[in-house]
Amino acid sequence: MQHRGRQRKRNLATSAAKLSVSIPGELAEAVRKRVGARGLSGFVARAVAHELEREGVRALLDELEDELGQPSKADMARAREAWSKR
Amino acid sequence: MVEALILDSEAVNALAKPKTRGARAQRASAILRLSYQKRALVRVRAPVLAEVCRGVRYDSAVNHLLNNPGVRVVEFTRTTAQQAGHMLTRLKLLSAHAIDAFVVATPLQLDTAVIATADPKDIQRLAAPFSKIRIFVL
Repeated sequence: MQHRGRQRKRNLATSAAKLSVSIPGELAEAVRKRVGARGLSGFVARAVAHELEREGVRALLDELEDELGQPSKADMARAREAWSKR
Repeated sequence: MVEALILDSEAVNALAKPKTRGARAQRASAILRLSYQKRALVRVRAPVLAEVCRGVRYDSAVNHLLNNPGVRVVEFTRTTAQQAGHMLTRLKLLSAHAIDAFVVATPLQLDTAVIATADPKDIQRLAAPFSKIRIFVL
């Protein structure tokens, strides 16, 4: 029984769900132009996944700021330098 | 363009247990903040967990970090393992450096990546041929 429960949970996580959303007309036109009607679901799924990830990182940054305070200017400068190197 | 911040074991520890990691946690927090500003992905290669997980009693902070939807564990594939093996052979490094090689192999499918590490020596050697990889020392 426990195994079946786990299996069902996994199926829910991987199966597709149909959503109906409203977005500004200009945005809809731009995304259709970019990916076509057939690529729309994949594009939206990637965008939603990315936004959820960003919310997670934002929450982690808030936790770190509570514990450590804001990163120093020197550490941010080092980070920028490393990111742009090469 | 897909950019990513790749966390090695000490970067995972610094973000999971910031109060015990002092200046390293401050620096890890800085590179994470920059990655957020750049809309980059945050990734941990699965074998790194072998270096940071030390038993159910000790793993709660690491689990809390890895349960965050913004920090994704990248599964380990045959392709990545083989790429890592090739890197070790090219540099005549022993398999004791395998996890470093796995970390460096992670960004090869991305456009650019920054590896956050406290032990840059071997990672820098392994990453040297790949212009898309940058190193941030914690």
